[in-house]
Amino acid sequence: MKERLLRDRSLLIMVVPAVVLLLIFNYVPMVGVITAFQYYDPLIGIWDSDWAGLDQFQQLFADSRFWDSLTNTLYLSFVQLILFFPIPIALAMLLNSVLSERVRNFVQSVVYLPHFFSWVLVITIFQQMLGGAGALNQFLRSHNLGTWDVMTNPDTFALLVTFQGVWKEAGWGIIVFLAALAAINPGLYEAAAADGAGPFRRMWHITLPGLRGVIVLMLVLRLGGALSVGFEQFLIQREAVGHDAAEVLDTYAFYYGIATTNYSFGAAAGLFKSVISLLLIWGANKLAHSFGEDGLYRK
Amino acid sequence: MLNRRGFLGAAAMTPLLVACSSNTPRSAQKVGTNSKAGLKAALPAHVPSTAVKPDIASVAGSGGAMTDPGFLSYPANPVATVTGVPGKGGSYTAITPLWGTVPPANNSFYQAMNKALGATLTMKPADGANYDTIVTPMAAAKKLPDWIQLPSWWNAKFGTDRLVGTQLADLTPYLAGDKVKKYPNLAAIPTGAWQAGVWGDKLYGIPGSAYNFAVAGAIFYRRDILEAKGITADQVKSVADYLSLGKELTDAKRGVWAFGDVYTYLAFSWDLPPNWKVEGGKLLHKYELPQLLEALEWHYQLAKSGYVHPDALAGQNANSNARFYSGKELIQGGGTGAWNLGDYQSGVAAEKNYRRGAFNYISHDGQSPARMFLGPTTSIVSYLNIKLKPEQIEECLAIANYLAAPYGSAEYKLITFGVEGVHYTMKNGVPAATEDGKKFVQAATFPFLTGPTGVISNLGADQVTKDYAAWQAANVNALYKPAFWSMNISMPQQIALLNTSQAIDDAIVSCVRGKKTVAEVKSVIDSWKKSGLDRLKGWMTENVLNKYGTGQ
Amino acid sequence: MTQRPSWQEPPTLAGQSAKGLTLGGVLLMVLVPLWIVVLTSLSTKGAINRAGGLVIWPDGITFEAYEEMLTDSTVRTALLVSFGITIVGTAISMVVSILCAYGLSRSDSFGHRFILVLLIITMFVSGGLIPTFLVVTGLGGYGQWWALILPGAVSVFNILILRSFYSSTAAELIDAARIDGGSEWRILWSIVLPTSRAVTAVISLFYAVGYWNSFFNVMLYMPTESEKWPLQYVLLTYVNRGVGMPGSVNAGFGMEHAQTAPLSLQMAVVVLTLVPLVIVYPFVQKHFRTGVLTGAIKG
Repeated sequence: MKERLLRDRSLLIMVVPAVVLLLIFNYVPMVGVITAFQYYDPLIGIWDSDWAGLDQFQQLFADSRFWDSLTNTLYLSFVQLILFFPIPIALAMLLNSVLSERVRNFVQSVVYLPHFFSWVLVITIFQQMLGGAGALNQFLRSHNLGTWDVMTNPDTFALLVTFQGVWKEAGWGIIVFLAALAAINPGLYEAAAADGAGPFRRMWHITLPGLRGVIVLMLVLRLGGALSVGFEQFLIQREAVGHDAAEVLDTYAFYYGIATTNYSFGAAAGLFKSVISLLLIWGANKLAHSFGEDGLYRK
Repeated sequence: MLNRRGFLGAAAMTPLLVACSSNTPRSAQKVGTNSKAGLKAALPAHVPSTAVKPDIASVAGSGGAMTDPGFLSYPANPVATVTGVPGKGGSYTAITPLWGTVPPANNSFYQAMNKALGATLTMKPADGANYDTIVTPMAAAKKLPDWIQLPSWWNAKFGTDRLVGTQLADLTPYLAGDKVKKYPNLAAIPTGAWQAGVWGDKLYGIPGSAYNFAVAGAIFYRRDILEAKGITADQVKSVADYLSLGKELTDAKRGVWAFGDVYTYLAFSWDLPPNWKVEGGKLLHKYELPQLLEALEWHYQLAKSGYVHPDALAGQNANSNARFYSGKELIQGGGTGAWNLGDYQSGVAAEKNYRRGAFNYISHDGQSPARMFLGPTTSIVSYLNIKLKPEQIEECLAIANYLAAPYGSAEYKLITFGVEGVHYTMKNGVPAATEDGKKFVQAATFPFLTGPTGVISNLGADQVTKDYAAWQAANVNALYKPAFWSMNISMPQQIALLNTSQAIDDAIVSCVRGKKTVAEVKSVIDSWKKSGLDRLKGWMTENVLNKYGTGQ
Repeated sequence: MTQRPSWQEPPTLAGQSAKGLTLGGVLLMVLVPLWIVVLTSLSTKGAINRAGGLVIWPDGITFEAYEEMLTDSTVRTALLVSFGITIVGTAISMVVSILCAYGLSRSDSFGHRFILVLLIITMFVSGGLIPTFLVVTGLGGYGQWWALILPGAVSVFNILILRSFYSSTAAELIDAARIDGGSEWRILWSIVLPTSRAVTAVISLFYAVGYWNSFFNVMLYMPTESEKWPLQYVLLTYVNRGVGMPGSVNAGFGMEHAQTAPLSLQMAVVVLTLVPLVIVYPFVQKHFRTGVLTGAIKG
């Protein structure tokens, strides 16, 4: 062990700055986690606030709205995983296969722009296009074709928010995959082509394996973040579809925690989310290992 | 971009309830409300100002309310209400919310103000939209400035009840009773406004922006469009009349809907109180009143009727102003703060005949008399830091006296328009802002420390002033003081959590958007009742009703 | 790369048109809203209020919104501040992250798994806003520019991506260099960095965009120091005009408080946010060309 320590000392020194920053700005404030076991009052401070024991957690677990929001979150996460996750990968591969550099550059630099739109703007645009008084429905109305309710329908809300998410973030999401594609040695394609492999076989045997590391990493992180599906997007559309469909864990913690200055209750919900997320990412990493992948680190 | 004015409008009407986060009361902290005698002893005497005569005089209503005085031009020879400079050369830092772009530090307007004040008052405005997020950690780190504005609708967020006496100075020894007469402009601020700054029988806050005609809001309509169709405000006497307007005005194919968001303000037609009602000595919470369900039933039907703009039904209120200006939404609820010069200019930019009107308050059936509760006289209250020495506090109060100079005075003219020739020029009795005036003065900061009693004044748009004043006069008799009007109530966290219910509020919103039936709302209300309504009422009776009475 | 490599099959008509249609559709979905945003930013108050929201067809054109912002001296100072923070912040973050990622990339190095877990925990557990605030202000960060950089300087997500690239694409080269006895610093500098330009570019972009767009820490640590504000926060105060002030609060506060920001101004803010990104992206993009890796190794 001493040998390894000696051998790896430069590597360890390299890690120091990041670790120090995280210790100061992330680990020290983590003392705040204990507010979940208090009746915390910021004006009194962590050290002097009254202890609540597990009271906040009891209230949390006894609240059916909490469980509803958890169910919503997991459902939305699942839908996003299936319908959203593969799209940036597919788009990146599609773009990569375009020969004309001009076209490729233009498309790339356009599709990543919606990432910089605020959610308020994105939803305003959606409302103006697909809303009850939007361009589409005014067209349908003027041709007596009835109307199509997309923006306020709780039943299709999951699809709507996923579509909004794809529109806003897919273009941004392709960037990291483009970088991975750029790292693939073109010589491999040439050799495969010489061996008679067609485009699909080349994709299967060269492109996808080249992306595998990043895809698995992203997938593991996505699973670990399964309880985070977004906040503002749901906050803004909460009234449109009703809180039954739009309440997710983060909005729940906001409304029943910070918004009512019930900080400790919010902290309890947050701590619950943290613990489950850590379990999820640990499980996802295990799963990756069991498929022989690296996941977050090599087994 | 989110315009939360609508909903906050009503929320700001019940701002004086504060929750302490802690379960057990701390020694420094008073739970409950002021005692009747203690409040009386702490409040400053009221000496109305007679410096300036308005063009449209105030009218008193039967329930103790008054209309705001109206001005059609700025008095030509403004009187000075302060002699000499109030300051003694002290230096103070003040933080206020600013709903606008921040003027550069140390600009010519600030310099002129400091000269007039005889002190260095460094104004540090912070983004109003996030002011609660900004101030909360500042208070937790005990980093409050010398002088700070704490709007009362955020009292619970700031923990104002616990900041007073620990971080904010007690002003009772300087202002209570006749002591305020040393500061005549402060003495002219109405008593109701001072009440917003009294905590635990002591006076801490300096109110600004007090309005005698303070209401949650009104139902506005496009007067130009409706009058062209022969519809006038006096024809609308009941909610049934509203429904027939809906039928008449909605033309979805042309993209025109009669209604925007109306629930927030129209629900008061069912005689709903801001929070509590006292009947026969017994407390009734707004959630348990049967008329709430009636109001919800009507609004549920309205949502289903097709007369409401789909964007409003989708809760997209960011552009509700633009929908109103464009004539796509003809009737919408809103705070009365919307009725002003800027609104007129925006409206006229879209349609040259644009005119805003408001319907009179009604009772839902059109039979019983219309009633609307009076809101707190102000929600703009500033506080001084407890670290200031007595002579510094006196200097700040003298500065406050300057800032509270009434409309029409020379001081008010400087505070509002800046220096003539530099920040504005007079054109036909109307001050027109120069470029510097727009940048440095229009983003008003000083009025958030304190200011005089409000007036209606829209220089350059007399019609707006006349319309608004006429509407106030027509409705002043409908106003009444609700139970616990303008009282600061400090609740333990667990009680406060019973007093407002996110679950019920959510269910109500869903219902008025046509997503949840009244029966579903009722079941949410029923489970809230079981969860501790008796405890809430017991606490309110013991700590508020028995201690203070209803204040009516 | 516009030339089709000799080994690649000639494109089929069906394949080309499917590609073209997909990309065309994607482009349209982004360009139409972009057009609406730009047009609205250039519209007169009358045009917006006649449209009742975002403007789809030109009605009245004006540059007022841009003029208002660009003649504001606060905006000009803020632009410089933003450049400074972005450049300094990105440099710090990149140095710290690259070192950390490389330091953790060796699959058998001492303690790397423990440190990785330490890092990953910070992605899911947070002590909350007020404890973090107290730590930063306790260190004297109130009103200091460093408070806008250091607390968020380390993105574990970015480190994980960098690490994944280092431990996959360049792994063989690194191993070879280690056998040759090169020091870790030397390997990082002369092998890893030159062969991973694409991912370096991508992560720099992520950090730079993060710094450029961040405003939350400004709100916490210097909410009243307008002369020190970066651009995004100044723009936010333009957008937030009148937002959140209860409508019942009478508008005796001057013109600005009385009105929410005109839509043109809000959209001009969006456009101003996009401009630097449109300018910067091509510089990132040129590192995505395939063959960068092999080129570097041969060189």
